[in-house]
Amino acid sequence: MELLTYTFVQYAFLGGISMAVLTGILGPFVVQSRQSIASDMFAHVALAGIGAALLVGVSPWWGALPALIIVSTLIWWLLDSGTYSPDALAMFFLSGGLALALAFVHLARDTVFSFENYLFGSILTLTTTDIIAIVASTILVVGIVWFAWYPLLGATQSPRYLVPFRRTPKVVQLLFFWLLAIVVWVGIKTIGGLLIGALLVIPVLTARNWATSFKQLVLLSTIASVLSVSLGLITALYVDLPPSSLIIGITILLFVLQSVARFILQKKGG
Amino acid sequence: MNKPVISVKNVTKAVDARQLLVDVSFDVAEQSLVSLIGPNGAGKSTLVKIILGLDSHYNGSVVIRAGERVQYIPQLTMDDQYQLPMSVYEYISIATNRLYGANQQKVDFEKTLTHVGVATEKLYQSYTSLSGGERQRVAIARALLGNPTILVLDEPLAAVDYASRSGLYELIRHLQQGHKMTVLLVSHDIDSVLPLSDQVLCLNKSLHTDCHPSQFTAEGNQTIHHHC
Repeated sequence: MELLTYTFVQYAFLGGISMAVLTGILGPFVVQSRQSIASDMFAHVALAGIGAALLVGVSPWWGALPALIIVSTLIWWLLDSGTYSPDALAMFFLSGGLALALAFVHLARDTVFSFENYLFGSILTLTTTDIIAIVASTILVVGIVWFAWYPLLGATQSPRYLVPFRRTPKVVQLLFFWLLAIVVWVGIKTIGGLLIGALLVIPVLTARNWATSFKQLVLLSTIASVLSVSLGLITALYVDLPPSSLIIGITILLFVLQSVARFILQKKGG
Repeated sequence: MNKPVISVKNVTKAVDARQLLVDVSFDVAEQSLVSLIGPNGAGKSTLVKIILGLDSHYNGSVVIRAGERVQYIPQLTMDDQYQLPMSVYEYISIATNRLYGANQQKVDFEKTLTHVGVATEKLYQSYTSLSGGERQRVAIARALLGNPTILVLDEPLAAVDYASRSGLYELIRHLQQGHKMTVLLVSHDIDSVLPLSDQVLCLNKSLHTDCHPSQFTAEGNQTIHHHC
């Protein structure tokens, strides 16, 4: 417990739990709208933004934010036009983002920079500025979801439920993409761009069989997400493994445990 | 005579060389129940999409009278295995899509549910636990909360089991008269809609005068369920 007195550990918990709240709340909307792959798409685009920032000499993480907002708007527009299928667009941005990132980083010739920090996160090295940005992002996203709950609920439904709105869902879908972009931005700093998708999706799958309403689903997936991050970080203090791998490991473990519990309950219930 | 609520004039639509609609023209009078019937592939859904403004690639004109509020109830399906949990309350809330006092909302929802013949205690149950008939009634309740003057329903009996069907069309007629709405009902079930309708439009790419079921079943692969 003495470890908890270290500032970097406190920052890791604060940043990690903020991110868990973000993914727990937005995850159900992501799964519901069948956009699970979008987080991965966004993360790869963020890497290109990081590379570009490195090239022009801006802080890499901050460079990712404008890239995310611009490209999420572009993806929203392309998806809305209906010209290209979502999976084809995903591959376009996944590979394109990574290729650009690779080129930018090579051109920047920065010997200290490590891509791994953004692919798999660097939750144990968060600075005070990072924490302020992460907590502010969390408050912003939670606040917007709170006020736009019903529009978001409607706009992320499967398409056939959308018809009564006609125009508004498109705007709300853009808002949803921006919210997801912010969550991915926080994710690349904490758990890593390649792993944030797992934290958005798996807690929802863990919670879905135990909820009867969407509100309950959001609550339960947030609990599952916060539990995974907290247990993962505590384990990381004692086991020599990367925190991100432990967090995702526990997320998967929780999913397996609830599946077993559900199986036993169903057997008992006949 | 009052201006028609919906006025469709010479609507033609083709995709590549395939004609979907050929020179369709009709008017829908205020507070009437108009049934649009036809076999599969007759262009019913295409025409509805054009009327709702969801499809703008066509020739001709569609005019909806100014100031009308349109609500659309799409065809329900029961096979969405990926649907995440959602309570009936939340499902209905999507339609209202606005933030007003939660208590007032609850009262409105309960009143409307009773109105369409669904028990109010279902409000907090999971939407997926409802039968097809209940889902269709809840969908109607959801549309009613939008306070429409025009209600468009696409095959309201499609996902409803036979036992739950009775009364659904009567409910639609009753609501149409009670709420003074104009209703456009899409169906392939001519026997059921005929006694309720003020006007029947028979569509098979173009409008036909003869609506006899035999004409439709001969072409379409969908049988008309007037025998159990």
